[in-house]
Amino acid sequence: MNYILEARELRKEYPGRLALRGLNLQIAPGEVFCLLGQNGAGKSTTINLFLGFVAPTSGAAFVNGVEVAAQPLKIKEYLAYIPEQVMLYPHLTGLENLSLFSSLAGFQYKEPELQAYLARAGLSTEAARRRVGTYSKGMRQKVGIAIAVAKHAKVLLLDEPTSGLDPKASNEFSELLRQLSAEGTAVLMATHDIFRAKEVGTRVGIMREGKLVDVRPTAALNAHELEQLYLTYMHD
Amino acid sequence: MIRSIAHKEFVSTLRDRRFLVLSALVLALLLLATLVGRRSHQALQQERALAQHTVNDQFQNQPARHPHRVAHYGSFAFRPKSGLSLLDAGVDSFTGAVVFLEAHHQNSVNFSQAQESGSLLRFGETTVAFVLQLLVPLLIIFLCFGAFGEEHETGTLKLLLSQGVTLRQVAWGKIRGYGQAVALVVAPALALAATLLFVGAEYAAGPDLLARLLLFVVGYAVYFFLIIVGSVVVSAWQRDSRTALVTLLGFWMLGGVILPKATANLGATLYPAITKAQMDTEVHAEAQKGMNGHDPQDQRSAALKEALLKKYGVDSEEKLPVSVGGLVMRESEEYSSRVYQQHFAALNATYERQNAISTWAGLLNPYQAIRPLSMGLAGSDFAHYVHFQEAAEAYRYGLVQRLNMLQAGMGYGDKERRLGAETWRQLPVFNYQLPTLAWALPHLLLPVLSLLLWAVGLSWLGLRLISKTSIV
Repeated sequence: MNYILEARELRKEYPGRLALRGLNLQIAPGEVFCLLGQNGAGKSTTINLFLGFVAPTSGAAFVNGVEVAAQPLKIKEYLAYIPEQVMLYPHLTGLENLSLFSSLAGFQYKEPELQAYLARAGLSTEAARRRVGTYSKGMRQKVGIAIAVAKHAKVLLLDEPTSGLDPKASNEFSELLRQLSAEGTAVLMATHDIFRAKEVGTRVGIMREGKLVDVRPTAALNAHELEQLYLTYMHD
Repeated sequence: MIRSIAHKEFVSTLRDRRFLVLSALVLALLLLATLVGRRSHQALQQERALAQHTVNDQFQNQPARHPHRVAHYGSFAFRPKSGLSLLDAGVDSFTGAVVFLEAHHQNSVNFSQAQESGSLLRFGETTVAFVLQLLVPLLIIFLCFGAFGEEHETGTLKLLLSQGVTLRQVAWGKIRGYGQAVALVVAPALALAATLLFVGAEYAAGPDLLARLLLFVVGYAVYFFLIIVGSVVVSAWQRDSRTALVTLLGFWMLGGVILPKATANLGATLYPAITKAQMDTEVHAEAQKGMNGHDPQDQRSAALKEALLKKYGVDSEEKLPVSVGGLVMRESEEYSSRVYQQHFAALNATYERQNAISTWAGLLNPYQAIRPLSMGLAGSDFAHYVHFQEAAEAYRYGLVQRLNMLQAGMGYGDKERRLGAETWRQLPVFNYQLPTLAWALPHLLLPVLSLLLWAVGLSWLGLRLISKTSIV
């Protein structure tokens, strides 16, 4: 099987701290893989390694079969990233921010297309024309989602993407992820939100102290069982 | 990609109220300095041209007189202002503008603006060059200190890089965007200055002035470029915006205030210059060893007289076709002039060695590279001042020797006779030609080289440093 994301014995050590201990992970196109774990468990490090923002101490990460450390620019063609807090540029409007990031990714969209992406992420036309400096955290997050979607990436790397979103926006986001997954986009999402993971994920992985300690298909568990499983690992 | 980032930086900067207020202040200062500079330049230029015309007129309209009396009556040389000195007054305000030209004496250039003005001038003038050299860099620092720090702090850098942009491209985009914003502040003032230079009848607008202005603009463009690059590099290196701001302000203080003062003091300590009184005493003492045209008992004058009698085959001074007094004056002038030239050259060499320390410091401090380049292109540096001094002395020497020869031609008993008023109208008046750019350029090679080395070195090294910056 061809995996769009793959980690082979991926290890990352910072001075005095082992952040990731030999991670092995494969994610197929259309799959939504949710990484659960406490702060410092290694979720963000995993995402940063796939983005090429940090170099692995040993092992390798692959995106669409391309080794990240060898071709850090090439792999970004396949990736879109949404951080926990999308800050954007406060002096630009939502439209201008989206236009900027899309042009950097090589897409030159006209205003109606940009409006459509923002609308799909749940941002109103009126808000899109306002400067981002006036936005709430949730509105900025929606622009971040629009940026990721407009890139037409094969993989979405999401680091706590629903943090700060209200329940309605979170639901809309989940729906969007399901649509993208159905279109073949693979998603790797680091989250604390067990119920969101159960709702949108096809598989969940539980990380603890830099190690992927368990991987389960979400279909095999209900939300309560997933919560119990998670708490068991956290209390061990 | 670089263009998109540059556009973002430019638009963001224009929408930032803090930048708008600061840039409006700097632009207002620049425009004010240009207009004040022009007014002062115009007034001084007209004053000096009128004074030169008046003294030339008075010199040529003297009544019938003995030539040596005319030589002592003397004349004045007024230093005209160069066109671009309205942008950079350089050392003009502190060097003199007028020199009295007379027989036997090489007077120094006097009546500087600093002497003639109130004490406020000692605090420094608000010239266009001052704003460009010190205040625009401060504006650049406030504009760029958060270039990378804020991207790190807000997390936008990761979002940018995830789009497939390199750190190097982000840096170049920022440099270009900030460059456009700075150009927007500086360009109106330079455009106004260019308009004033080329529409004002009092300015000798021509290809030389145009070339000087173009190089002036290019020089400052390179200076601002390297300050922008430096600020962006520091912001990437420090990561924290506030630390970057403090570091950049420290560099500004060091480069703009401390190093220039320190190198000037070092130059004066290593190469102490003698005072004017000391030099006058030494020149006078040494000149005494030559002939004294005003001392009839002088032995060397007597020897010259003997030689003349022998040459013309006569036995008395009365029979000589030339005036012994005139020829003695000529010999005396030649000797004293040679003595003066030697001392003058030695003093100037000392000043040049002092200045050289500051100019070489341009390799360490870009401010000390742009300053001599700016003054040199504006025609207001020490080299241009010396050029005027030399031209005035050459004119004085030529005039006095011509008068001495007129006296010599009057024959024996010349002291009892006068030459007609029309004689003085045939004498050349002082007509100073400002040196050309081709003359000035060899003096400016080191500052040009320093600026280019800074620009290339900082771009190469700084961008390498930025590309190795940690993203997470």
